[in-house]
Amino acid sequence: MKLYEFTQAPNPRRVRVFLAEKGVSVPTVQVNIGAAENRKPEFLKINPMGGLPVLELDDGTHIAESVAICRYFEVLHPEPNLMGKDAKEQAVVEMWNRRMEFEVLGMAAGAFRNTSDFFKGRIPQVREYGEVCHAAVIKRLEWLDQELANREFIAGNRYTIADITALIGIDFGRTTQIRIQPEQKNLARWHAAVSARPSAKA
Amino acid sequence: MKLYDFPGAPNPRRLRIFMAEKGIKVPLEQLEILKGAGRTPEFLKKNPFGGIPLLELDDGSYLAESVAICRYLEGLHPEPNLMGKDFREQALIEMWQRRAELSLFGSIGRAFQNTNPIIAPVIGQQFPEYGAKQLATAQQTLAVFDAQLKGKEFIAGPRYTIADITALVAIEFGKQNAGLQLDPALKEIARWHQAVSSRPSAKA
Repeated sequence: MKLYEFTQAPNPRRVRVFLAEKGVSVPTVQVNIGAAENRKPEFLKINPMGGLPVLELDDGTHIAESVAICRYFEVLHPEPNLMGKDAKEQAVVEMWNRRMEFEVLGMAAGAFRNTSDFFKGRIPQVREYGEVCHAAVIKRLEWLDQELANREFIAGNRYTIADITALIGIDFGRTTQIRIQPEQKNLARWHAAVSARPSAKA
Repeated sequence: MKLYDFPGAPNPRRLRIFMAEKGIKVPLEQLEILKGAGRTPEFLKKNPFGGIPLLELDDGSYLAESVAICRYLEGLHPEPNLMGKDFREQALIEMWQRRAELSLFGSIGRAFQNTNPIIAPVIGQQFPEYGAKQLATAQQTLAVFDAQLKGKEFIAGPRYTIADITALVAIEFGKQNAGLQLDPALKEIARWHQAVSSRPSAKA
């Protein structure tokens, strides 16, 4: 088994943190997005969509999509539970994970993709749209700060995959100068807590 | 239990098809999405992110995000299975569902939001240049899906799953509202599309 990934990219980090929380170790292989290694024919055979991370199983099957990889390990290694126990909890955790994915991580990625020199000339960039994404993250973080006044973690009272997604989304926001503001005390409290977990260093 | 719905919108349709496949009936409450009903202060109290579908549970709590709602219903009504049985199947189906959602539906959705005047009152600022690029991406992604369907009956493998629902709804929405073209040269897509469209659930 091995995990194709890239240390600087956000989605691989989601899987690394998840695996660390589970205490599961998987050998990794670096695929350099900066050098467009993920768009070369050899890698497109592994993942026709070209994204990272990709998990290669011992029988040669490839599982792409970070949350699908997480789900594989969640069922294989149920403890500690990160994606919900019963039907309702699974749905609530998934709902929050998706909200963090679309509105925090996704928008932070949209800001980066459309304004950063990292992708200049390699993907179509529309700077103005990137700025709209940037503003959307900032607004969503103001809202999230208020939400976190009433609960400890993103999806409720325990740490779940939704916290991993939000942590990585907010940390990735730093690439376009998105920062937790001094007055956002709840968000800062939550961020300090999830960042202090050993898994955050994965 | 009740489901907030709107006939033309794609995400509620994904859920309606899922429920039809399962034989689940939930009362629907129609919301005038194009008139901003999904973003009023009252509705934002139920779903702070706005939008539909939104499931109101019997205990008065709300569940948003179409796939999260599907997962809830899959847990309550396991048959027919649409999201995978063992860990390997669940991961593979989720992978294909996400590819259909994030790559195919995502680019179609962004094309729609930035090029179709009907959504301008809800979205605000549109970026037509960006929308056109997203449509081109969607067309390319469709070709990748066609290549990947070779030797497979359905998107995620030998049986119909939630991944087929996402892809079907995305493509139909793209054709109707974002200018997506189904190139007849994409024979696997044509075969698959015919099969999933003729299921009774496709009318949901």
